[in-house]
Amino acid sequence: MGMLADPMEKVKSLGDARAASGSNKVSTRDVSVFYGEKQALFDVSVDIPANQVTAFIGPSGCGKSTFLRCINRMNDTIPVARMTGAITLDDIDIYDPRIDVVELRARVGMVFQKPNPFPKSIFENVAYGPKIHGMTRNKSELEALVASSLKRAGLWNEVKDRLHEPGTGLSGGQQQRLCIARAIATRPEVVLMDEPCSALDPIATAIVEELIDELRSNYTIIIVTHSMQQAARVSQKTAFFHLGKLIEHGRTEDIFSNPREKQTEDYITGKIG
Amino acid sequence: MTDTAVPSPGHAPSAATLARRRRRYAADRRLRAYGIIAITFALGLLATLVASLLVSGYPAFTQTFVRVDFPISEDLVDPADPAEGNFRKIMQEGVSTLIPGEHSPRELRAMAGILTNNTQFLLRDAVVADPSVIGGTLTMKVPVSDPFDQLNKGLVDRNTPEDRRRLNDTEIGWFDALADEGRVSRSFNWGLFTHADSRFPEMAGLKGAIVGSFYALLVCFLISFPVGIAAAVYLEEFAPKNRATDIIEVNINNLAAVPSIVFGLLGLAVFIQIFGLPRSAPLVGGMVLSLMTLPTIIIVTRNALKAVPPSIREAGYGVGASQHQVTMHHVLPLAMPGIMTGTIIGLAQALGETAPLLLVGMNAFITSPPGGLLDASTALPTQIFIWADSPERGFVSRTSAAIIVLLGFLIVMNAIAIFLRQRLERTW
Repeated sequence: MGMLADPMEKVKSLGDARAASGSNKVSTRDVSVFYGEKQALFDVSVDIPANQVTAFIGPSGCGKSTFLRCINRMNDTIPVARMTGAITLDDIDIYDPRIDVVELRARVGMVFQKPNPFPKSIFENVAYGPKIHGMTRNKSELEALVASSLKRAGLWNEVKDRLHEPGTGLSGGQQQRLCIARAIATRPEVVLMDEPCSALDPIATAIVEELIDELRSNYTIIIVTHSMQQAARVSQKTAFFHLGKLIEHGRTEDIFSNPREKQTEDYITGKIG
Repeated sequence: MTDTAVPSPGHAPSAATLARRRRRYAADRRLRAYGIIAITFALGLLATLVASLLVSGYPAFTQTFVRVDFPISEDLVDPADPAEGNFRKIMQEGVSTLIPGEHSPRELRAMAGILTNNTQFLLRDAVVADPSVIGGTLTMKVPVSDPFDQLNKGLVDRNTPEDRRRLNDTEIGWFDALADEGRVSRSFNWGLFTHADSRFPEMAGLKGAIVGSFYALLVCFLISFPVGIAAAVYLEEFAPKNRATDIIEVNINNLAAVPSIVFGLLGLAVFIQIFGLPRSAPLVGGMVLSLMTLPTIIIVTRNALKAVPPSIREAGYGVGASQHQVTMHHVLPLAMPGIMTGTIIGLAQALGETAPLLLVGMNAFITSPPGGLLDASTALPTQIFIWADSPERGFVSRTSAAIIVLLGFLIVMNAIAIFLRQRLERTW
């Protein structure tokens, strides 16, 4: 994983990534991903500012999810996936062999496309992350953390009387907010969301979008979406991907009102995608 | 489905269309008929099997007893040491009171033959259990020997010429007299479950075989369950997908198809000859059976692990669980119902397995149930094998009865597996 032909090139990428970080939470330089022989992502360099929502948009198969999954090294779990380039989180190279991937994932939480609560109680779902990372010293601390996570995810009032019922018994929108509560229970700095609303109805989507906006003050949020309206509604920064390449990125208003690239314009006006 | 052509909307069907439609309907009906015939045939065979087992096995579930009064004199049994009494003589004295009148020693011997050969030992056990009967009379219901049991159950044709019968007219006369006197009774044959094997059908039971099978299955479970799960978890969750794991996978599937007698030979050659483990022991039998169950458990466990949706693994990794934590906390518990179901079915197969047990000597004649894993023992299928080989009439029905008991255990195990599957199966 993360092997480059020329070690100096990696150092250079890393240097670039570090230099660019500044107020940026996550910086990537020349990130390419290969699935076996097939290259899925081509030299993506992007800076993601702290405490903002960054949206990755683009047609299906453009590599936006692949890129998202590099940021918490979820691609490590795919045996054929291989990455080159550098990604830093707070100036630290997350592909450094000394980085413990488990601790990284506690700092970079993730919410998936389809709500995937564990088939356990609501409480257990949220408490699982803090438990395995030893974040609380006793039961009351754990209960407080679960309660605060559920409150932040805007789910507390709906579930406080049935914390010990199975999480899979909730509605789709509630399940997704439970997954958000689960992700923020490990007190991450960055939350990755991979099309979090694609399996939800419009009302549940609106609630989750509102939630994303609230979470921005505490977390750096990166959201992959194929809905341009959603990107426009929730994000401050937008990056447009096409065929594995980062075509354009910048402030959301600029991307949507005044795109620099022809391909971006074609996509947001519905000509491609 | 009807033969009448329903006109399609829009246009009238042509004659060719109608003919084609009729042929299609006829083909559908034929296919359905073949299926029904096949199922009827299979069910008919099954019903024949079960019916023949029940008809021939039913008599073994009852046993004929005769009530005998045995005088227990202190001359023959010392109250201080009741186990050492002359119970053979007591038995003879009890028998002589059965039929009134004077009897020659030859006749007395023949009369003693009404009772089971083990009567003196039954008497000894009864007196040892309750020494207060010494000096008085002990009234006991004694199992009758096999020929009389068969006679009482109506399995012997009284019209057969005397020289071609086990029992002559005199013996039948004695028995009928006892029956008229009300001394003969027939009740449920608990001995079938509380006795071990015996040379005498009336005393032979399945306890040794059931206990032996239980121990063998216990060993089989204790070996194949953890080893099978560990192997499956490694192959499914951790092993890289390469040529080596492909070869392992193919060989596990091949292993499941190896004839069971080969495993028996392996057990004989390795466990008994090389490791020097005792012959006929349930430990060895269980180890051999575990070789057979192992591939089954590995395969069902891998399928159960595969059935756990990837989203659960992603969720685990997403909150920072390690591979071990994802496997142990989420994937394995969710796969457990499937694993349990498959394991029970694997054990049920092992329970019915005969050939490998024959080779490791679990078909010996053993008259007491095993006290432990290293005692010589039989198992249910090998007991059936032994009894099927025995010439006495009583063993014919006992063989069928043992098969019914074995099938009963198999049905119970499969029912538990189905229950678990229905109860715990999850839909995603």
